[in-house]
Amino acid sequence: MDEEEDQQKLPDLVKELVYRLLSQNLPPNSPPLNPNSPEFLDSLRYAHRILSSRFTPSVAPDAAAIADSIKRSLAARGRSSDALSFADLFSKFAHKAQSVNNKWAVIHLLNKISQDTHLHHFHHPPPLLPNLPLPHPTTAPKPYSNGALLISKDPDNRRDNAFRDFLALLREETEVSEEALVRDVLYACQAVDGEFVKFDSRTNRYAIPDSVRVPRPTRSIVHGLCELGFLFRKVSGYISQSMDGFPAEDVGTVGQAFCSALQDELSEYYKLLAVLEAQSLNPIPLVSESAASGNYLSLRRLAVWLAEPMVKMRLMADLVDKCRVLRGGAMAGAIHLHAQHGDPMVHEFMRRLLQRVCSSLFEMVRRWVLEGELEDIFAEFFIVGQPVKAESLWREGYRLHDAMLPLFIPPSLAQRILRTGKSINFLRVCCEDRGWADAATEVVADKGAASRRGGFGYGETDTLEFLVDDAAKRIDKHLLDVIFNGYKFREHCLAIKRYLLLGQGDFVQYLMDIVGPELSEPANTISSFKLSGLLETAIRASNAQYDDPDILDRLRVKMMPHESGDRGWDVFSLEYDARVPLDTVFTESVMASYLKIFNFLWKLRRVEHALTGAWKTMKPNCITSNSFTRLQHAVKMQLVSTLRRCQVLWVEINHFISNLQYYIMFEVLEVSWSNFVSEMEVAKDLDDLLAAHEKYLHSIVEKSLLGELSQSLSKSLFVIFDLILRFRSRADRLYEGIHELQARMTESSSSSRDQNRSHSRKQLIDKSAEQGSWIADGRKALTQRAGEFLRNMGQDLDEIAKEYSSLQEEFISQLPVQQHVDLKFLFFRLDFNEFYRRLCPSM
Amino acid sequence: MPREIITLQVGQCGNQIGMEFWKQLCLEHGISKEGILEDFATQGGDRKDVFFYQADDQHYIPRALLIDLEPRVINGIQNSDYRNLYNHENIFVSDHGGGAGNNWASGYDQGKNVEEDIMDMIDREADGSDSLEGFVLCHSIAGGTGSGMGSYLLETLNDRYSKKLVQTYSVFPNQMETSDVVVQPYNSLLTLKRLTLNADCVVVLDNTALNRIAVERLHLSNPTFAQTNSLVSTVMSASTTTLRYPGYMNNDLVGLLSSLIPTPRCHFLMTGYTPLTVERQANVIRKTTVLDVMRRLLQAKNIMVSSYARTKDASQAKYISILNIIQGEVDPTQVHESLQRIRERKLVNFIEWGPASIQVALSRKSPYVQTSHRVSGLMLASHTSIRHLFSKTLSQYEKLRKKQAFIDAYRKFPMFADNDLSEFDESRDIIESLVDEYKACESPDYIKWGMEDPNNMLTGEGNATGSLDPNQ
Repeated sequence: MDEEEDQQKLPDLVKELVYRLLSQNLPPNSPPLNPNSPEFLDSLRYAHRILSSRFTPSVAPDAAAIADSIKRSLAARGRSSDALSFADLFSKFAHKAQSVNNKWAVIHLLNKISQDTHLHHFHHPPPLLPNLPLPHPTTAPKPYSNGALLISKDPDNRRDNAFRDFLALLREETEVSEEALVRDVLYACQAVDGEFVKFDSRTNRYAIPDSVRVPRPTRSIVHGLCELGFLFRKVSGYISQSMDGFPAEDVGTVGQAFCSALQDELSEYYKLLAVLEAQSLNPIPLVSESAASGNYLSLRRLAVWLAEPMVKMRLMADLVDKCRVLRGGAMAGAIHLHAQHGDPMVHEFMRRLLQRVCSSLFEMVRRWVLEGELEDIFAEFFIVGQPVKAESLWREGYRLHDAMLPLFIPPSLAQRILRTGKSINFLRVCCEDRGWADAATEVVADKGAASRRGGFGYGETDTLEFLVDDAAKRIDKHLLDVIFNGYKFREHCLAIKRYLLLGQGDFVQYLMDIVGPELSEPANTISSFKLSGLLETAIRASNAQYDDPDILDRLRVKMMPHESGDRGWDVFSLEYDARVPLDTVFTESVMASYLKIFNFLWKLRRVEHALTGAWKTMKPNCITSNSFTRLQHAVKMQLVSTLRRCQVLWVEINHFISNLQYYIMFEVLEVSWSNFVSEMEVAKDLDDLLAAHEKYLHSIVEKSLLGELSQSLSKSLFVIFDLILRFRSRADRLYEGIHELQARMTESSSSSRDQNRSHSRKQLIDKSAEQGSWIADGRKALTQRAGEFLRNMGQDLDEIAKEYSSLQEEFISQLPVQQHVDLKFLFFRLDFNEFYRRLCPSM
Repeated sequence: MPREIITLQVGQCGNQIGMEFWKQLCLEHGISKEGILEDFATQGGDRKDVFFYQADDQHYIPRALLIDLEPRVINGIQNSDYRNLYNHENIFVSDHGGGAGNNWASGYDQGKNVEEDIMDMIDREADGSDSLEGFVLCHSIAGGTGSGMGSYLLETLNDRYSKKLVQTYSVFPNQMETSDVVVQPYNSLLTLKRLTLNADCVVVLDNTALNRIAVERLHLSNPTFAQTNSLVSTVMSASTTTLRYPGYMNNDLVGLLSSLIPTPRCHFLMTGYTPLTVERQANVIRKTTVLDVMRRLLQAKNIMVSSYARTKDASQAKYISILNIIQGEVDPTQVHESLQRIRERKLVNFIEWGPASIQVALSRKSPYVQTSHRVSGLMLASHTSIRHLFSKTLSQYEKLRKKQAFIDAYRKFPMFADNDLSEFDESRDIIESLVDEYKACESPDYIKWGMEDPNNMLTGEGNATGSLDPNQ
C-alpha cells in the first residue's frame, strides 16, 4: 500500500517541485502561477523527460569517497570547523538514514548545488540542464533534489519506454512505410509513377508530393534515387523518339547505332532493376522481433545498388542531351569528347558505346578509301560529294565537312582519307581507269582483316591510319602512274612549255614569219581558219612535226575577242587543249595564265623579230658606202652620223631586248621548269602535283612581270615594245632611203664610168636612161634631197632615242626596288658592263 | 621551212676544213658516211635540214659546194669513205686543174671566168631550199683559190643575194713562220678587203693560234693539218649547234649574229673553245662547270686568234660582244652565278660606249657523240684586239710592197693590168680604216668617231677611191 502511495505521491511531488521552482523565479509583482497554464504543463512535461532520462554523473558511486572529497575541499578553504561538523553530520547520515539507498547520489547532489550557488548568479541557467529550452523567461529550472531521486528509480523500464515513445513518434510523423517507398523508387527508376513517388512535371522530376508526410532524410534519399528515373525517362524518350522518327526523320546510321547501343545499356539496367525488385520482396531474417518490420531492401541499400547505374545513366542522359541535334560524324565526335575521361569506368563505358556508334562511320571510311564509294544516305560522313563536271571533280567534287569530322580523326588523316577516295573517283570518272581496283585489292591482301568490313573501329585509329596510308600510297601511286604514263602529263607540260611558252624556237620563228603579215591586218578581217592553216604549216616546217600527233592535235589558234582598231597581233594567241583528265591541272584559270604569258612572250618575240629584221637591213655587207664618195662632205657627215645613231640606238635596244629574253629564258622559264620537274618527280599524289604546277606557273607569272605587284613595270615594258616597233619602221625607212640614194649614185657614177672605161653594162645604162629625170635634176638636187631626207630621219631617230632612253631609264630604275629577287638579276644583266651606272650614277 | 645554210668550200684549205666539218655534223646527227641515217639515230630534236637535205632515197646530202681549181683535195674526198655523201653535181674542179698558183689575182680571175657555172650550182641549191638564210664560205685567205676565187664569190653573192647572210670561216695564215707562200701578205690584204665589205660575219681561224693551241694545250709536238683542222671543225660545228638543236633563243643565223655584230663594220669574230681534245686523244678529264667553262673561254690561251698586241694595247682592248654557246647538261641556274662571278672578278673588259653583256646560249649536245666532259663551251666574240692581226697583215704587206716584190705575177691579170695597183692601195686603206674603227671602239666616244675629222672616216671610200675615179 505504501508502495502505491509512493507511486501516486511521486507525480504530485514533481508537480509541486516545478511549481515551487517556477514561482520562485517569477519576477516580482507578477500574478501567481497557474498550475493549469500551458507553460506550466510544458515545464512539467519537460521535467518528466529529464527525470526519465538516464543521466548519470561522472563519479564513482561511493558515498564515503564523495564525503571525503567534500571534507578535503572544505579544509582546503580554511573551513576546518565546517569540515569537522560535516564529517560528523555525514557519519550520522550514513548510519542513521537507512531508508535512503543511494546515499552517494544525495551527497553528490548537495555538493553540486553548493558549488553552483558559489559559482553562479542565481538567475543564471543551471549548468546541469544546458539544453533545456525555456519557452518563457518566466519558466525556471526545477529544483534538482527530487529529480535525482526520480532518476534513480527504475532505469530499465524508462529506457524501453523512451524507445517505444520514439518509434511511436516516428510512426506518427511517417505516413508511408519504407517498403512502399522502395517499391515506388524502383517504379520511378523505370519512369513509372508509383503510389507516392510521382513525376512532377512542374519541377521536372520524380518526387514525393508534399502532401505525403515523410521525414526529411527519407525524402531526400528518395529524391536522389529518383533522379535515375528522370534520366532514364530522358534516355528512353530519346531512343523511342529516334526510332519512331526513322526513316521519316533522318536519324542516320550513326544515330541508329547510338540508339541501339543505348538500348543495350538500358537492358542491362532493366536486368538490375528486376533483380532489385525481386529482392525488395524478401524480408531480412532478423533475430530481434522488434525490427521485424525492416525489409531487406531499404532505401539506403537501394542507393548503394543504384550508384553505378546512376553514373552511367547520367552519362547517357548527358550524351542524349548533347546529341539530340547532332548527326553522323558530329555525333560521334561529341560522344568522343565525353570519352576523354579519367575514370576508367566511364572511359570503358564510352569506349564500348563509341565502338558501336562509330562502326558505321568506319565502314564508310573503309568503303570510301578502298572502293571510292560514298555510301552516305543520311549525310553523316565527313566527306561530302557534289555533282560537278569532270574537270572540276578533283578540286570541287568532294570536300571535307568539318562539322561531321569527329575529333578522333585528326584533320591530316581526314585529308588523306578524302584524297584517297577522291583519287579513286578521279580515276574512275576522269581517267576511265580500272587499274585502281588492283591497287585496292593489294591493300586488302596486305592489310588482311583490317580492311574487311568492320575490321576496325573506334579506338583503333592507328589501324585506320595504317589502312588509309597504305591505300593512299597505292592509289596515289597508281593515279600518278596513270597521269604520267597513261595521260603523259610530263609530255603535255613540256609541250605547253615548248609551244605556249615558245620554247620550241624554230617553230615560233616560222610561225612568226608566216602569220606575221596576216596579223598586221585589222583583227576583224582575219580568219582564224586561215591562221589554223598557217599554224599547221609552221608545225610541219619545224621540228614540231616529230612531236606526238596527239600533242600537236591539241595545239590551236585562239582569237581573243577584239575591239575595233585591234590588229591581228593584239588578238592572236595559241592555246592548248588539255582535255579530261588533265584539265584538272590545266583549268581554265590556269590556261588563262598561260595565255597571259604567251601574249607577253609572243610580243617580246615579235619585237625581237623586228629587231633582227632591222639588223638585216643594216647588216654589214649592205651599205657599201663606196657609192657615196661623190656626195658633198656635209651630207656625207650627215649620212655617217645618222647611220651611226641608228646603229647605236639599235645596239641599245637590242641589248635590252636580248637580255630581257635571256632573263626570261634562264631566270624565269628554265629555272622554274627545272624546279617544277624536280618537284614533279617527288610528288606523291595529285595534290602535290597540282601544287607544284601552280607554283611553277605562279613563279613564271611573277618573274615575267605579269604579277599584280609589277603592273607598272609591265606597262612600261609594253610601251617600250611599241616604241621599238616604231623604231623598226623608222630604221627601215632610213635604210630604204639610203639604198635608193645608193642606187642612184651607183647609176650616175657607173653611167659616167661606163662612158669612160667602156664597160659593157648595157642594162644599167638602160636603167639610168629610164630614170634620167632623177639624174637630170643634177647632183646638186640629189644632194639636197639626200640632205633633207637624212636631216628628217636624224630628227626622227633623235626623238625616238630620247623617248626610248627616258622610258628605259624609268624601267631600269624601277627594277632594283622590286620585291622579286630575280628582277634584280634582270637589272644585273641589263647593266652588265655598268654602262647605265656610268650614265646615271644614281642608279 | 628550215633556215637553210649553203656551205661553199673553196680551195685546198676550204675543202679540207669543210670536209672535217661535214664529218663532225654527220657524227653529231647520226648520219653514216653514205648519208644514211644510222639505226641508233632515233632521238629527235635535232634539225638536220639546215645543213642537209634528203634525196629521193631519203639519204642525207650536205648543202655544200666543193669548189677548187686543182683536183688534189677534192679527189681525195672523192676517194674517201665520204665519197657518196656529197652531191656530185655540187663538185666543181676547174677543167685545167692547174690551180691558182697561190696567186689571188689568178684565183679571182678564174672565179670570174667560171662564175656562170658556179652560180648555176648556187642557184640550184638556193632554189632547193624553202627559206634560205645564207651562205657559209670556208676558205683560207693566204693561198690563191680560197682567197682569190673566194673573194670573187663574196662579191658575187653580195650582189646577187644581197638579202642573205654571208658568213665565212676564214683561215688566216701562220704569220710567225716564213710561209711557203711568199705572196701571202698580198693575198691576205686583197681578201681582207672583200671580207670587210662583202661578208656579214667573218669567223677568224688563225693558223698561228691553232698551232699554238695544238702545241700548248694539246701537247702535240708537231701538229698535223688534220689535227688543226679537227679543231676548226669542232669550232664550226659548235658555232652552229643552236641552229641545229632549236631552243628558246638563237635559232637562226641572223639571231645569232645580230647581237654579236652591233657595229656592221666590226664583224670579225674570235673563237675560243674548251675543253679541247683531239680525236683519239685520251685527255685528262676535268670537272667542267658552267663557271669553269666560261672562265676558261675568256683566257687568252684558249682563244683561236693570236694576240699580236703589245701589252699597253692589250690592256686597252675591249670586248664589243660575247656569245658563249654552252653544250651539255647544264643547270640553268648556274649561268647567272657564273655571270655574277665573272663580273665581280672583272674578267671581261667591255666597250664603254654602249650596254653590253655576255650572252649565253645553252644548247643540247649530240646524244650520239660521247665525250669525257660534261660541259663544253664555245665563245664567239668581237674583240678589238683583232685589229692587231690586221695591222700585222698590213705591215707585212707594206714590207713586200715597198720592195715591189712579186708584183709581176699580179700584173698579168686584168685587175692589175696596165700597172694599175690601185686595188692594193684601196684594200690597204680599207683595212686601215677597219683597224681605226676597231681602235675607236676602244674609246668611250666611238659614237662621235669620224665626225670631226673627215679624213679619218670612210677612208677607203673617200680619198683613196678619189684617185681611182677620174670623175672626181
